[in-house]
Amino acid sequence: MNGTRTDERGDAELLDAVADGDGEAMRALYERHAPWLVLRLSRRCADPALVDEVVQDTFLAVWRRPRAWHGRGEVAAWLWGIGIRRLLDQLRRRPATVLGLLDRAGRAEPSAEELVLVGVEHGDLAGALNRLSPELRAVLQATALDGLTTREAGRLLGIPPGTVKTRLMRARAQLREELA
Amino acid sequence: MTWHADPGQLAGYSRSALDPAQATSVEAHLLACPACRAGLTGAVPRERLDRIWDRVAEVVDGPPPGPVERLLTWLGIPGHAARLLATTPSLHLSWFAAVAVALGFAVVAAHGSEGGPLLFLLLAPLLPVAGIAAAYGPGIDPTHELAVAAPMSGFRLLLLRAAAVLAGTTALAAAAALALPPLGWLAAAWLLPALGLTLASLALATVMHPTAAAGAVAGGWVGAVLATQWAAVRHLHHPLDGPVGSVLFDPVGQLAFLAVAALAALLIARRHDRFDYDQTGRQP
Repeated sequence: MNGTRTDERGDAELLDAVADGDGEAMRALYERHAPWLVLRLSRRCADPALVDEVVQDTFLAVWRRPRAWHGRGEVAAWLWGIGIRRLLDQLRRRPATVLGLLDRAGRAEPSAEELVLVGVEHGDLAGALNRLSPELRAVLQATALDGLTTREAGRLLGIPPGTVKTRLMRARAQLREELA
Repeated sequence: MTWHADPGQLAGYSRSALDPAQATSVEAHLLACPACRAGLTGAVPRERLDRIWDRVAEVVDGPPPGPVERLLTWLGIPGHAARLLATTPSLHLSWFAAVAVALGFAVVAAHGSEGGPLLFLLLAPLLPVAGIAAAYGPGIDPTHELAVAAPMSGFRLLLLRAAAVLAGTTALAAAAALALPPLGWLAAAWLLPALGLTLASLALATVMHPTAAAGAVAGGWVGAVLATQWAAVRHLHHPLDGPVGSVLFDPVGQLAFLAVAALAALLIARRHDRFDYDQTGRQP
């Protein structure tokens, strides 16, 4: 780390302190969450400068409106929601830098709802996911893991929302087939 | 929590070396586990983290926004524009207080005497013009050197401030107009002149200092109102059948101001680059 004493407060307390204007608490929050945010965003956008800007904007948004969290769920999940939507906004303005995500490291994770829909109880889920083609995995990840709507997922991946829905159906069908 | 990512997995994740399903499991887990998040410290270079933080620190360590700036941000205006507006000399509370006092006097005068409403109608369009005179330019604006040096175009800054001044003073004047004696539609006869005069002074500001432009427009307006009112009283154009006989407040006059506003807007659009670099309108 950078030599400062590690803050022992929980995320919720830190946010409270930020809402009171505590710059130290803001720094502590940043040190805790910036690393994973940078990594996770970098796996959806190949442009490091853009990722840096999105992370900046995310923490600035936290500084300006810390009470927007409203105590719902994990602070980390809230941060991710802000971050991915900032990324979407940036990508809308710079369509050329759409992510270089669809490489060997494509990722997807069905939410609990997805699993129920697919009717999975047993089976090699990880393997089946890995065997999905990158486009199918990308839509699954964007909707189920990143929590985006079909429209937002379309904007992130640069495809129309109709295509997102079709690919989701194909992904589910393929998983269902493999795991049946 | 029954499952944690081991250091090997975390290292693999930060290098993008995990297979898709594993990587996604790690990501989902990280959202809920502070311990594993702490395990990622060091995965991102310190220099990069510090660089990102510097930009955030500028805002965190900077001066907290004042009430005007907070109000503007709440209204949805982006941060940098709100700060520029908040430093406008003519958007300060003292300015609004002075405007309110002037309007108060005009309203009292309107109730008090025969020619009272004329004073109000004369004064109300002058308020945004005066606001613009105090909004931009050397000698008036303490942040002028900063504004000239900033990458934002001077024209855009002036437009932004003029819009804010116009909105603010119009709102105040409209509120004051509610306290006028019943005048029918005449109570709103200052709106179009206000718009016309504001745009005219902005257009003139492309060739002279904004304060001088505003002064010229204000002088012209006062002269025109007084002259037409005197002419009406002398029955030279038409009989005085209300407290205000000036032709400027008739439908014809109102339409004329609409035309003035349109013309001025055109001029501003064509000559907007004159606002940059040099307040006297000479190209650098």
